[in-house]
Amino acid sequence: MFAYVIRRLFVGVIMLLVMSLVTFLLFFAGPLDPARFACGKNCSEAQQAQTSKALGFDKSPVVQWSDFVKGVVTGRQFPDDPALRKAAPKLVTDCPTGCLGYSVVSTSTVNKEFKEAIPVSVSIAIFAFIMWIIGGVLFGVIAALFKGRLLDRGIVGIALVFFAFPTFFIGQLFLQFVAIKWRVFEVPDYMSIAEGGIGAWAYNLLLPAFTLALFYMAGYVRMTRAFVLESMGEDYLRTARAKGVRQSRVLFKHALRAALTPLVTMAGLDFASLLGGAIITETVFNFNGLGKLAVVAVNTYDLPTLVGLVILLATFVILANIVVDILYAVIDPRVRVG
Amino acid sequence: MASIAKRALAAAAVASMAATLAACGGGGSGDNSSAGDAAKSGSKGGTLYYYINKPVEHVDPQRVYVGRDISNLNRTVYRGLVSFPADTDPDVANKPVADLATDTGTKNADATQWKFTIKDGVKWQDGKQITCADFKYGASRAFATDVITGGPNYILSYLDVPEGSDGLPSYTGPYKSSAAGKAAFDKAITCSGNTITYNFKKPWPDFPLAVAALHMMDPYRQDKDQGDRSNYQIFSNGPYKLQGAWSKNKGATMVRNDQYDPSTDSTEIRKALPDEIVFDIGKSQETIADQLIADGGNDKFAVTGERVPSAYFARLTGAVADRAVNVQSPFVDYVLPNFKKMTNPKVREALAMAANTKGWIDAGGGSRAYAEAKSIVNPSVTGYQANPAFTAPASGDPAAAKKLLQEAGVTTPYPITFTYPKTDTADKQAAALQATWDKAGFKVSLDPQGDTYYDVIQKPSNGADVIWGGWGADWPSAITVTPPLFDSRPNLTKNSTGQDYGNYKSDTFNKIVDQAQSAADLGDQTKALQAADEQLGKDFAYIPLESQKFNFLRGSKVSGYNNTPASAMYPDLGPISLEK
Amino acid sequence: MSLSESQLEVSPTPDEPKADDQPQSLEGLSPTKLAVRRFRKDRLSMIAFYVVAFVLVAAILAPIFTKIGIIDPISLNQDDKLIDPTLGGLPRGAAGGITWAHPLGIEPGTGRDVLSRLWYGVTFSLSISLAAAIVAIVVGTVLGIIAGFSGGLIDATVGRLIDLTLSFPQTLMLLALSSIFVAAIQQRTGLSTNPANAVYEIGVLGLFGWPAVARLIRGQVLSIREREFIEAAKLLGASPRRLYFKEILPNVWAPLLVSFTLITPQYVSAEAALSYLGVGIKPPTPTLGNILTDGVNYALTDFTYFLFPAIVIAVIVVSLNLFGDGVRDALDPKADR
Repeated sequence: MFAYVIRRLFVGVIMLLVMSLVTFLLFFAGPLDPARFACGKNCSEAQQAQTSKALGFDKSPVVQWSDFVKGVVTGRQFPDDPALRKAAPKLVTDCPTGCLGYSVVSTSTVNKEFKEAIPVSVSIAIFAFIMWIIGGVLFGVIAALFKGRLLDRGIVGIALVFFAFPTFFIGQLFLQFVAIKWRVFEVPDYMSIAEGGIGAWAYNLLLPAFTLALFYMAGYVRMTRAFVLESMGEDYLRTARAKGVRQSRVLFKHALRAALTPLVTMAGLDFASLLGGAIITETVFNFNGLGKLAVVAVNTYDLPTLVGLVILLATFVILANIVVDILYAVIDPRVRVG
Repeated sequence: MASIAKRALAAAAVASMAATLAACGGGGSGDNSSAGDAAKSGSKGGTLYYYINKPVEHVDPQRVYVGRDISNLNRTVYRGLVSFPADTDPDVANKPVADLATDTGTKNADATQWKFTIKDGVKWQDGKQITCADFKYGASRAFATDVITGGPNYILSYLDVPEGSDGLPSYTGPYKSSAAGKAAFDKAITCSGNTITYNFKKPWPDFPLAVAALHMMDPYRQDKDQGDRSNYQIFSNGPYKLQGAWSKNKGATMVRNDQYDPSTDSTEIRKALPDEIVFDIGKSQETIADQLIADGGNDKFAVTGERVPSAYFARLTGAVADRAVNVQSPFVDYVLPNFKKMTNPKVREALAMAANTKGWIDAGGGSRAYAEAKSIVNPSVTGYQANPAFTAPASGDPAAAKKLLQEAGVTTPYPITFTYPKTDTADKQAAALQATWDKAGFKVSLDPQGDTYYDVIQKPSNGADVIWGGWGADWPSAITVTPPLFDSRPNLTKNSTGQDYGNYKSDTFNKIVDQAQSAADLGDQTKALQAADEQLGKDFAYIPLESQKFNFLRGSKVSGYNNTPASAMYPDLGPISLEK
Repeated sequence: MSLSESQLEVSPTPDEPKADDQPQSLEGLSPTKLAVRRFRKDRLSMIAFYVVAFVLVAAILAPIFTKIGIIDPISLNQDDKLIDPTLGGLPRGAAGGITWAHPLGIEPGTGRDVLSRLWYGVTFSLSISLAAAIVAIVVGTVLGIIAGFSGGLIDATVGRLIDLTLSFPQTLMLLALSSIFVAAIQQRTGLSTNPANAVYEIGVLGLFGWPAVARLIRGQVLSIREREFIEAAKLLGASPRRLYFKEILPNVWAPLLVSFTLITPQYVSAEAALSYLGVGIKPPTPTLGNILTDGVNYALTDFTYFLFPAIVIAVIVVSLNLFGDGVRDALDPKADR
């Protein structure tokens, strides 16, 4: 088991290296100079060249990539131009090990940007995750139990409808009508637990998390229902029923457990990708999470932030895959890792 | 939010681009229908809320370049040698008054040297006197173009520092510079006691206007300077100071600065009546408009520089209408023919003749959102006159344009590409222009671009035939409008069009600009600038589209509310006060 | 988000058994005919089929109708009688300016006919989605068959490629790469903005969508390749290409068809979401996504303009999904259990 995890982690690191290189080649080979945006309105060509040098954008993508990797391993100092650092030490921004770069646009290290954005995205993800898992499994089981009847059709139908409307439409519907027009809720505005306590934190997360949860719930209802039906068809359950074990016991003890296994995989991966920020939901509700950070970075051509985001999000996904595989083995003894 | 705000910003969508990049406006509006209530002198106390949608890019004085932020910082924390008074009458508002200096400065005969004397008893927030050295240090920071980026840097081309081989000043700022560069700078700005002297290489007759309109000449304390790390730090010399830090995504709270002595200040500039000012960043434009319409809780004490989306105009009725202003902004939007591609003057004339500016305005929110424009210079700028070249009716004259195209001898349909920064509103507006141009015999394809718009159109290889632009004067003089936009010499280089996006290159025009820039007398300068605009009209170097109007809401307990030229027609924090 | 891989796997799960689907007599019927018969018996699937057919016909007709002037998605009607210039260009009249001439109202600001725009928008949105689905299916199938059949190093390489592709945050990459690649496409090919945007959108949606297909096909191939007829073909000296495309491909068309019908609606949603984030085809060319994106601005002031495009998207997504489910149930013998 231990060897397996080590091997998986090793492969993961290799993958991150390849991904970061690909990302650098893709982004920094673009037609625009990322220094242009930093340089501002009255920026002559010569000034832009200077800015580019101070930030290290004048180097080739591969050199920039190796600087980036070095930064992750040993840390870095900014501005990138060593002469400038030497002449004016008080300008130097230290970026310790794990350094993901320096964003010219936000005049801070990428890590600092992430540090502010991650709690927002993680909060939404956790909240939405709880809602959709509970809702999805509950309604999925109900639908399976009432298979073919009105209740089943109703649940499946409603799930499909929420799946079909674009998330930003549903989100805007909540924001504009539920919050702004009808004032059922106040307009959500993220508040950390430290700022407003658990109550305010949760209250402000409700609408965005619900928007997100609805979308996922739709899929999980269908999935749970299918898995439960499938496993109820399995021979050993038929046997159990034939032997007179109560229906509810069959359901909870056996069918659900069997159905749980694929659910865990899905849920783990979906949750991991959500940790990286729900781009649409955060945009609609104006939450400064990783998703909105990504949109802003794209709009301002903030390449260091974008590269950092790609790597961070990929790390989440790769780690989640490993965790899920291990969990899988724990839940289902038939699966062995190794 | 960046994105949703952008999309949802119906009326003034295109403007947001202009507001960020074509920074400071310095002018007032002739038809300021909603005259403020400056006369009332309010009472002290209370907390004022200022709602802002997107993060403020810079609060470093040498880097801030957005009209709204320049004004807000001037009224609260960054005093200048001189400042513009908070008055709605442009004739008063466009004349700087003494602030940290004892008077508005004295110049030599050809306006190449300016002297200011700093008042006694003006202090930083830690109680230390503001010295001439602080002013000099502040000015030096603008030269560090590799660290102090994004700000206005007019001083680079004016201050008497020789240029190196790369066309940049030999002085490269306080952090890292050659000894020769440092020596040249030390000669260009000299201190003698409390008197600071600026030596320029060409006349700068309206230098005090530039000082008042921007923060680039502000003092800066060397021991507080951390370069890029200072971007969100404020070391105050005004009536307020930061409580805690400025958070990029959240904003900041300003409280009273106990080292500020009102007797050194003028109430024409700032009255500093509220006890606290909260800059609240992050609400969407819709949320802000909606909260201010509802007028509950803290929103009663709130103002904003975010425009009411045009989709909300229908809700500004009854009592809400009394809290809404509709004022003309200092910006003008226009399109530029690309002179590299549209070489035939008749074709450019046809383009102007068939420009459906009424359709553009209607698609963008109508008469409440825009005023017609007849020149690239905003009416609020000193010496404004309508450009006689633009005679076409507001909805364009495609028939006359068709004739011009025939005279030009080009084959029709004449294919052109129109590029503009994409927003939902701009897409519709562009479609309106496109329809009429197509009718006149052009064949228009639209090329909307994202937020990197300016980077794209600065490429000399940019293939667009018609290019959107927006601009506001940096200080209320056309010298900050037509020369920076159309003088080919500083703009056009091998790899960039600078701000001359249309590749306009005219020796006649450049000569007139030289006249204007060498004029030691402001009257002569204004005349030359008027001639320069006429020349641009003759060449159809641009076609004015409109001048945006600002629609702002405020809370019911806010008094002393004014949109002044000094604040680029955003709410002026100088005279504002709160009712209990 | 709407592009996450999970949905791909959510849909093709076995659905309820249909007891009454069992035909009385099986003799003389090909599997295809059997499937069609099963499909026809399912009322919901048939409704979905009719809706899908209707949408497809409408999508094909839109350009023709535009040409002969029955619908007009482009022309402006900036008539002060239609829109109110003092109220930000909102349509006059009830429900977004609904009249006989404009059954779904008019667009604020420009007075363009909303029905025409939506109608033509369906054409563009569907074209993009179908094209992207084809890219995903083709790339996924080719790599899936090669990986499944060759095994060994090639299989492992394709597997790593799949992992790599799936590890990239897709929505972020779609957003970030658009500013770089659309310009590059324009420069290389001389295409104008919207064709270049379309190429980009189809390309990246397809290239991020193939791994799921490849995994599915690889699994199928693994089970097929041990069967006798493949062994026989191998012994007869069939070339790999013949093996791949003559022997194996015909045996995986059923899951491919199901994938195709289930991927397409995802791309309809994706087009809308990407439009909202500023990627994809730009107005005045209508797509469902860019119409709804504009409609969002008017949620409170012109509700119908906000609602109608969302409904059209939802109807297309639901009907395609139900249709896909129906096809799967009809083809999948397990569903007859």
